[in-house]
Amino acid sequence: MASRLLFSSLRQVQKLQKACIHGRSRIGNREVVGFGYNGQYSYQDRVDFPMPAIRFKESTPDIVALREKEKGDWRKLTLEEKKALYRASFCLTFSEINAPTGEWKSIVGLACVFMSIGIWIVILEKLFVYKELPASFSEESKKAQLKRMIDLRVNPIEGIGSKYDYEKGEWKK
Amino acid sequence: LISFHDHTLMIILMILTVVAYMMTTLALNKNINRFVLEGQMIEVAWTIVPAIILIFIAMPSLRLLYLMDEIHEPTLTLKVVGHQWYWSYEYSDFIKVEFDSYMTPQDSEDKSTFRLLDTDNHTVLPMNSFIRIIVTAADVLHSWTVPSLGVKTDATPGRLNQCSFLMNRPGLFYGQCSEICGANHSFMPIVVESVNTNTFINWVSSVS
Repeated sequence: MASRLLFSSLRQVQKLQKACIHGRSRIGNREVVGFGYNGQYSYQDRVDFPMPAIRFKESTPDIVALREKEKGDWRKLTLEEKKALYRASFCLTFSEINAPTGEWKSIVGLACVFMSIGIWIVILEKLFVYKELPASFSEESKKAQLKRMIDLRVNPIEGIGSKYDYEKGEWKK
Repeated sequence: LISFHDHTLMIILMILTVVAYMMTTLALNKNINRFVLEGQMIEVAWTIVPAIILIFIAMPSLRLLYLMDEIHEPTLTLKVVGHQWYWSYEYSDFIKVEFDSYMTPQDSEDKSTFRLLDTDNHTVLPMNSFIRIIVTAADVLHSWTVPSLGVKTDATPGRLNQCSFLMNRPGLFYGQCSEICGANHSFMPIVVESVNTNTFINWVSSVS
């Protein structure tokens, strides 16, 4: 049942998108007005191809009458009629095409979810997986190792040895 | 070495600036190009120009590489053999001296031992003299490394690898095995103890 639904919806989509193969038009009553995006009879709202090959809505008698009126003086057309003419040929205006979609909110949200999963994994690892630190990480041990490093004068040019003032016996200020 | 680094860094910075500028202007550009395909001219250009830039980087680099490998009349030769999982050293220039060097175990009483870095026998070497090291391995691959001396030489069974260095201050220099060699690969460190020549001679005669 689900696959039949899928196939029927796919067929509808095919009808709209691939409305023409080899010049045959499966576009209903819509008028062809030009070459369009790639020569096929399809409608797309694209900023870089602003004139699609077919009109958006099917030609009804009202629209046909309006188009006859359009051939005359445009000052005689009311604003409502101009809008109706536009919407008959096009689906969206340019500002609607370029309008922000708010998609970034869902992307940021999902990214935060995945980051939090990562942080949870680290927390659970620290609690349950990792062993104790070895004895040489205790404070006493670290102090003794540091003292030994200073006595050995390791890295006297730019490292630990250079930060200790050996004449005074204390750290350099 | 420093001037080579400066030279390469200058080239890298130039390339980075060009790329960053292109990226910002392209990203903030309001034009839309519908037909961005098959730009053969620009593709030839952006293949040839990097090739030329790379030649400019490669020539000094290779020259430096070969210069760094020259040997300057070493005073001493030390043979290092890597085993699983310890190092053994041989000084056979004058008296034959051989010893093994194992890591000190981790739960020792003394709080100031460096965990995983201290060994029972230190490799004593004289300072201010060129030393040649010949490294090989007895069983599997190892690598003899002392980062403070700028030395890393792979120990391959059946092959002798040579490197040389000079130490100009006394002290202890630590390193660790740098080629995976089995279960205790992290537990075979190297300690080079640099001493003045008299102490070295005394030590060699006392050990043999």
